[in-house]
Amino acid sequence: EDGEFLGMKGLRGQLGRQVADQMWQVGKRQASKAFSLYANIDILRPYFDVEPVQVRARLLESMIPVKMINFPQKIAGELYGPLMLVFTLVAILLHGMKTSDTIIREGTLMGTAIGTCFGYWLGVSSFMYFLAYLCNAQITMVQMLSLLGYGLFGHCITLFVTYNIHFHSLFYIFWLVVGGLSTLRMVAVLVSRTVGHTQRLILCGTIAALHMLFLLYLHFAYHKVVEGILDTLEGPNMPPFQRVARDVPVVSNAVLNTTAKAVALTL
Amino acid sequence: MSNFEQFHFDFYQSNYTIDDQEEGCNSYGSNENLSGSTKSQTREQPPAGAFAPSDMFLSPKSYTGQILQPTQSPDTLSHLDYADGFDEEPPLLEELGINFEHIWQKTLTVLNPMKPADGSIMNETDLTGPIIFCLALGTTLLLAGKVHFGYVYGTSAIGCLVMHALLNLMSDLGVSHGCVASVLGYCLLPMVILSSSAVVFSLQGIPGIFLALFIIGWCSLSASKIFTSALAMEGQQLLIAYPCALLYGLFALLTVF
Repeated sequence: EDGEFLGMKGLRGQLGRQVADQMWQVGKRQASKAFSLYANIDILRPYFDVEPVQVRARLLESMIPVKMINFPQKIAGELYGPLMLVFTLVAILLHGMKTSDTIIREGTLMGTAIGTCFGYWLGVSSFMYFLAYLCNAQITMVQMLSLLGYGLFGHCITLFVTYNIHFHSLFYIFWLVVGGLSTLRMVAVLVSRTVGHTQRLILCGTIAALHMLFLLYLHFAYHKVVEGILDTLEGPNMPPFQRVARDVPVVSNAVLNTTAKAVALTL
Repeated sequence: MSNFEQFHFDFYQSNYTIDDQEEGCNSYGSNENLSGSTKSQTREQPPAGAFAPSDMFLSPKSYTGQILQPTQSPDTLSHLDYADGFDEEPPLLEELGINFEHIWQKTLTVLNPMKPADGSIMNETDLTGPIIFCLALGTTLLLAGKVHFGYVYGTSAIGCLVMHALLNLMSDLGVSHGCVASVLGYCLLPMVILSSSAVVFSLQGIPGIFLALFIIGWCSLSASKIFTSALAMEGQQLLIAYPCALLYGLFALLTVF
């Protein structure tokens, strides 16, 4: 090397190289500072400091709506319970998909389950936090994540029971009672932290609709194949495909041909 | 060739470069006691200097002590072998760090979840046992007609990453990826028992479900026992056991269906 840098020789080349080096160093320093600030997992550490007794108490409390809405209710800002509940929901979904032999065409079973559950938890929490910001509700992002995460406990119970016992009426009862209780709890907490009728209506209507509809979606999207299998397995007494009126072209053509032949013969 | 003689005196010059060779010649030519070696060693790694005097006495005879030293760097071992010649090389298994006695001890610890675990057994990251168990799981699944090697690999890799993040968040002491992978791999042994029973009879009935639940409980109890004793997280064993149970539940799902 004769000190040439990008075509510039001598002093200009050296200067150019030094400037490039300096820019690289500064850029690297800033990038590593930003990385250590934002990708530092330690900022989440206080939210995982829990005891088993606390987690159990919070799980049970998430099903009990509190009537006192005159002053802001306490929300536990922890992330261990909600994270474990989301993973449990993923496991229940996978179990339901495996027992019902669901085939996912574009993607994998695992990817679908994880995407659905984490997408709901993170996406709806962010959306509700945004709405809460618009409606002037006093709730932080971690509290919203925690509230919605614990609200998934009702979903876990309902799906666990109804993926194994297949009665539609049982599902609807669980949907109303269990899903309704956990939704009512979230609604009560949000109402206690919001001022103004319109704002309360917006927030609570949105969370109730999203929460209940998600349970409905999870039930119907991932187990409908089971019904078909159950029908065909009922035994020789029940003829298959009884509920669906079908026109089988081969059969109808054969009938048409024999009828035509019979008519031709009589004529 | 005098450089090789110098290796007999100072074994742990792990950052030996071609420049050090000339300086080494000068300093060792002048004084042959260890003060010369410590002077050059202080430029490099102080702990390596501490090892040199004691291991001079141990040198070609036995290498069992080295496997148990967690701070041993692999560079020092390779310099040892290079210097000692073919006859005095350590046996292949010890060079690879595979110690069957330790693997057996850890296996017994996993198989008996009621026995209190020693916190220090997980100081050395040993991935041989876990790899053997993962291959055994894949093989028994193959015997049952399911080719799921890729799923076993993917699930264990992602499970290790998630458990590592969770354990780092929940404990005061940090853990390394290797330690987490090692513990989770060892506690996979009961799952191998489940999948080998799946070869003989189908697990999709009620007894199969109960057997799977029992095996999941066994695996997660062992794993959480080892983690809580190694990370000093008393009172949080159930909180560690639950994510382990979810992970082993995934393996059970793979085995049963």
